[in-house]
Amino acid sequence: MAKSKESKKVGAVMVVGGGVAGMQASLDLADAGYYVHLVDKSPAIGGIMAQLDKTFPTNDCAMCIISPKLVEVGRHLNINMITNTEVEGLEGEAGNFTAKLINHPRYIDLEKCTACGECSRACPATAVNEFNERLDLREATYMTYPQAMPRGFVIDRSICVGCGLCEKVCLAEAINYDDKPRQTEMEVGAVILAPGNGVFDPSRFETYNYMDLPNVVTSLEFERILSASGPYQGHLMRPYDREEPQKIAWLQCVGSRDINHCDNSYCSAVCCMYAIKEAVIAKEHAHGELDTAIFFMDMRTYGKDFELYYNRAKEEGVRFIRSRIHSIEPEGECDLLLSYVDDQGELQSEVFEMVVLSVGFEVGEEIIELSKRLGIELNQHNFALTDTSTPVTTSRPGVYVCGTLQGPKDIPQSVMEASGAAAASSALLNEVRWTETKIKELPEQRDISEEEPRVGVFVCNCGINIGGIVDVPAVREYARTLPNVVHVEDNLFTCSQDTQVSMAEVIKEKSINRMVVAACTPHTHEDLFRETLLEVGLNKYLFEMANIRNQDSWVHMSDPEKATAKAKDLVRMSVARAALLEPLEERMIEIKQRGLVIGGGVAGLNAVLNLAQQGFEVVLVEKEKELGGLARHLHRTIDGLDVQKYMNNLIEEVQTNEHIQVLTEALVVGFSGAKGNFTTEVLVGPGMYERKIDHGVTIIATGAVEHKPNEYLYSEDDRVMTQLDLGNFLHENSKEAAKWQRVVMIQCVGSRNEDNPNCSRVCCQGAVKHALELKELNPDMEVIILYRDMRMYGLLEDYYQEARSKGILFFRYSADQPPQASRNGDGLQVTFTDQVLNRPVQMSADALVLGSATMAADTEELASLLKLPRNRDGFFLEAHAKLRPVECSSEAIYLCGTAHAPKLMSESIAQALAAASKAGSFLAAEELRVGGAVAVVDPERCAACLVCVMSCPYGVPRINEDNVSEINPALCQGCGVCVSECPGNTIHLGHCEDDQISANLHALLEGVI
Amino acid sequence: MIMARPKPIEEIIDEIKDFNKVLIAGCDGCVTVCEAGGVKEVQVLASALRLYFTKENKRMEIDETSLTRQCDKDYLHELLDKIDDYDAIVSLACGAGVQFMAEMYRKKPIFPGVDTCFIGVTEERGVWAERCQACGQCILASTGGICPISRCSKRMLNGPCGGSEKGKCEISPDTDCGWHLIYERLKELGQLDFFAEPTDPKDWVSSRDGGPRKIVREDVRL
Repeated sequence: MAKSKESKKVGAVMVVGGGVAGMQASLDLADAGYYVHLVDKSPAIGGIMAQLDKTFPTNDCAMCIISPKLVEVGRHLNINMITNTEVEGLEGEAGNFTAKLINHPRYIDLEKCTACGECSRACPATAVNEFNERLDLREATYMTYPQAMPRGFVIDRSICVGCGLCEKVCLAEAINYDDKPRQTEMEVGAVILAPGNGVFDPSRFETYNYMDLPNVVTSLEFERILSASGPYQGHLMRPYDREEPQKIAWLQCVGSRDINHCDNSYCSAVCCMYAIKEAVIAKEHAHGELDTAIFFMDMRTYGKDFELYYNRAKEEGVRFIRSRIHSIEPEGECDLLLSYVDDQGELQSEVFEMVVLSVGFEVGEEIIELSKRLGIELNQHNFALTDTSTPVTTSRPGVYVCGTLQGPKDIPQSVMEASGAAAASSALLNEVRWTETKIKELPEQRDISEEEPRVGVFVCNCGINIGGIVDVPAVREYARTLPNVVHVEDNLFTCSQDTQVSMAEVIKEKSINRMVVAACTPHTHEDLFRETLLEVGLNKYLFEMANIRNQDSWVHMSDPEKATAKAKDLVRMSVARAALLEPLEERMIEIKQRGLVIGGGVAGLNAVLNLAQQGFEVVLVEKEKELGGLARHLHRTIDGLDVQKYMNNLIEEVQTNEHIQVLTEALVVGFSGAKGNFTTEVLVGPGMYERKIDHGVTIIATGAVEHKPNEYLYSEDDRVMTQLDLGNFLHENSKEAAKWQRVVMIQCVGSRNEDNPNCSRVCCQGAVKHALELKELNPDMEVIILYRDMRMYGLLEDYYQEARSKGILFFRYSADQPPQASRNGDGLQVTFTDQVLNRPVQMSADALVLGSATMAADTEELASLLKLPRNRDGFFLEAHAKLRPVECSSEAIYLCGTAHAPKLMSESIAQALAAASKAGSFLAAEELRVGGAVAVVDPERCAACLVCVMSCPYGVPRINEDNVSEINPALCQGCGVCVSECPGNTIHLGHCEDDQISANLHALLEGVI
Repeated sequence: MIMARPKPIEEIIDEIKDFNKVLIAGCDGCVTVCEAGGVKEVQVLASALRLYFTKENKRMEIDETSLTRQCDKDYLHELLDKIDDYDAIVSLACGAGVQFMAEMYRKKPIFPGVDTCFIGVTEERGVWAERCQACGQCILASTGGICPISRCSKRMLNGPCGGSEKGKCEISPDTDCGWHLIYERLKELGQLDFFAEPTDPKDWVSSRDGGPRKIVREDVRL
């Protein structure tokens, strides 16, 4: 029995951890045709990102961008959220695991709980609120945060006094004090670990007095202070006296880059950017002038457009002081004294009103235990052990990892890895895709075109949320008097499952063809009611919602009479609009089951291979004769991967895969169509014959090039070379290199300057890698690195430390005093200003190595063919810097590798897998739903004025062969911008027609004008 | 294309305040493209006027329409049946359209709703710029495709003048010197020899010199 079971793969995946990475992995996999069990130990998913106020570098509100994901996960038919649950063990092997879970009791039945919140309001017991980082209190019966998913409350029995009040007030009868822990098991084919990470506890540093000085807070506490939903409602206040501080300091590397206090030697990779962000946002919150100072060692703004953010912060007056603060002393009643040595070596003291400790990541004891139970190996810092070439694969086959368990990283990198882990799982389980998933069968839609409007109005009490303020029976009876209304009723909870059943019955019985629900917000509940309509064979657009809770009972609590009158107004408006609602057609079109990958470097090859392993046909287009791209010039990575061996194997695998067609010397010359149905024209060498490729998805992996310097005697003297040149030299001529006595390296050549303000991310580690290699060749060789900030982020810090311990010398130079290279007879000389001595130092060198910038490949023509935007440096723009790092703004076009931004090989591979995951999920659907609430042009009045073309944020409208505007329903996002801008008023938007909006307003203003 | 901009609403209110029933007539041609007088502008203007007169407690009925082009009689004809329902018309067409409507409906007061500005181009959304002054005798062939009549503030035929500085015109640092543009373009085209010979004075008969102009083409006349 055991044998037959083992050989059968299971088309389900367990994702452990419901933070942003876990959610992304779950969504990718569920869309790709796998059933996902999303397990989280806390009562709600969301992770650390849900606690953040804003996110860098876009300053988007974290909650605003994560909550649509929360809702999507919560509503996905093929994601089973299992909260309050821990994984006890994992047996079996890749393709067929048995996971053992412990489901901790929630004491509130999620099936019944409607999240009305009465239980929490009645609860007399309070505890510190961990979500707000212990800065305020919450009830024992609580929801982690207002947008929490699953939407339901939980009882913290450790502080619950068992008074029974919540049970009494819960009209849904969801409270169950007798809930018990349960042990469950489930079969899954693969496991993705995304448990996230803890943050460093700074109480270990006695000199920081974190426990004793209330105005010393951690960065995560500061995020909550800034957050509108935080303990101070977004008012910038210090904890001691709730006064607005006028001077705040950030101390970087707290718990990172140090080993003196049992802290961590690695760099936490995100703290520099979040500290800058917090300083900038704090300035925005302040009512007067706010003085912000960031004390740092190296400013590690290495990500895409991060340097621009850093520069802007400097312009906005954020002070950056290069010094590591030893201690925080109390000053006066609650102020804080910092002493430091400035750039000139002078001792300075400054008093601040608040100090933020930029705490780093730390793998918690629980996560270490979890890793043991799951049988995956951790590295010396307790992050999951992975390889450069397989960045999301753990030591246990079939178990993948993403997010901060893999290493310290920011949100976009976590999201990429999450999709990458999904791609790896999908490649493993491809043959059992769609075997465990659920499908919703819907009846055919009833034709209502000949029917008079028959409106059914359902008024919700929402427990007592609405009913306690608004006179719901009066609103119900009022609705009865409105035109076209054929049925009214009120419900305790209109959203509850049993109400859905009775609603469906009454819709059929009374031939209702328009439904109005007066309840809470469409943001959380519209889809639910639309589903009920679909289940009885009505078009989902025949639905209208009146928000008499958030916009009425909650805001007019003190005036029930007026609240009732307003509820009637809102219902009247909705009923008026509902009568004019039209069914909108959505049709399915076929998705071409083929992918196209442009660029055959390390990213393109990985993307193509994974997509093929997922079972899809893929065409790889490479402009050069040989595959491999820039990686062909790399010999080893900093962690010792033999790049050429790896590339040879990879290329061999790609070339022999039956699903892959490789076109080299191939140039993209034409591109048309839309998501699901692209046609690309390619000229293929050497004969330059033309090929037309039909495909459903496109992946851009066009790579980057090394900048050819025009300074420091480069190309004038053979001894001056770039890091890439040095790599080649070491590979071919190591004996010659071993004879060198002194090598000088200059960093930031062609980066972080006016022409190219961004950091090239990879050059610091490139220099350290080669410096260590040179030291190995000849331990007596003097290796000197001239740098501006050593950006050895994340676990790269280990190599930086190794380099320092091996005697490699690091000298910092400032941008306004760059080093000079000169020739003295046959000799090569480098001059630079030493920051400590504050005087010029001159030395001879056998080789001068330039850490030259990574520049975008020339993709101007390709970008214009594919209509893809690029940033000022020529790197392609992702759809969203934080949460959609591999999607382009045009749908079904994905992005990976250095075409997106400079990055390490392991990061390129993770992003390539992510692009393949997105592409695979898109193709797996096989059909595409188009239409619905989209913009439609009436060509009669179109003046071909181009206003729609110019104003569409998605670049969808085009002037067609008939010289009128045309909007592809498959691409239209339904935002309505063109509709409101069209000077001919000849574009209309389904579900937002002028008459519908007028009816809405006229109903409101009835009797007023 | 002819570029226009919406008149300030106060001016339009002043035009129509003494009437009781007014038709706002847009034009689907040039003024639609420059977002001054198309259907949307008609609706926006009509709504604003209704709000104003309601607030003023004045009885005023305002209807909306838009014609394919107001510079063609056939399209103006579409108003024939209903023109008598109105006390006055506000035309959002260019000056030509307003006049043609006035010619056709002689007994109705016709008011302009836009200020017609120039013949020009859409440089970007919301930015329109003059390119042609309809002088009637095009000299673009010899000026690198850049018109000194419309682009030089002095309409000089032999420029630039002494007021040209760093490529800008002395009237404003935001105005390019037309002759500087011509020079740069000719240089790119390798046609700088144009500058060697002074240009003869232009025959302005084809411009406004000869009074209102008319084109009569026997080859296409019916």
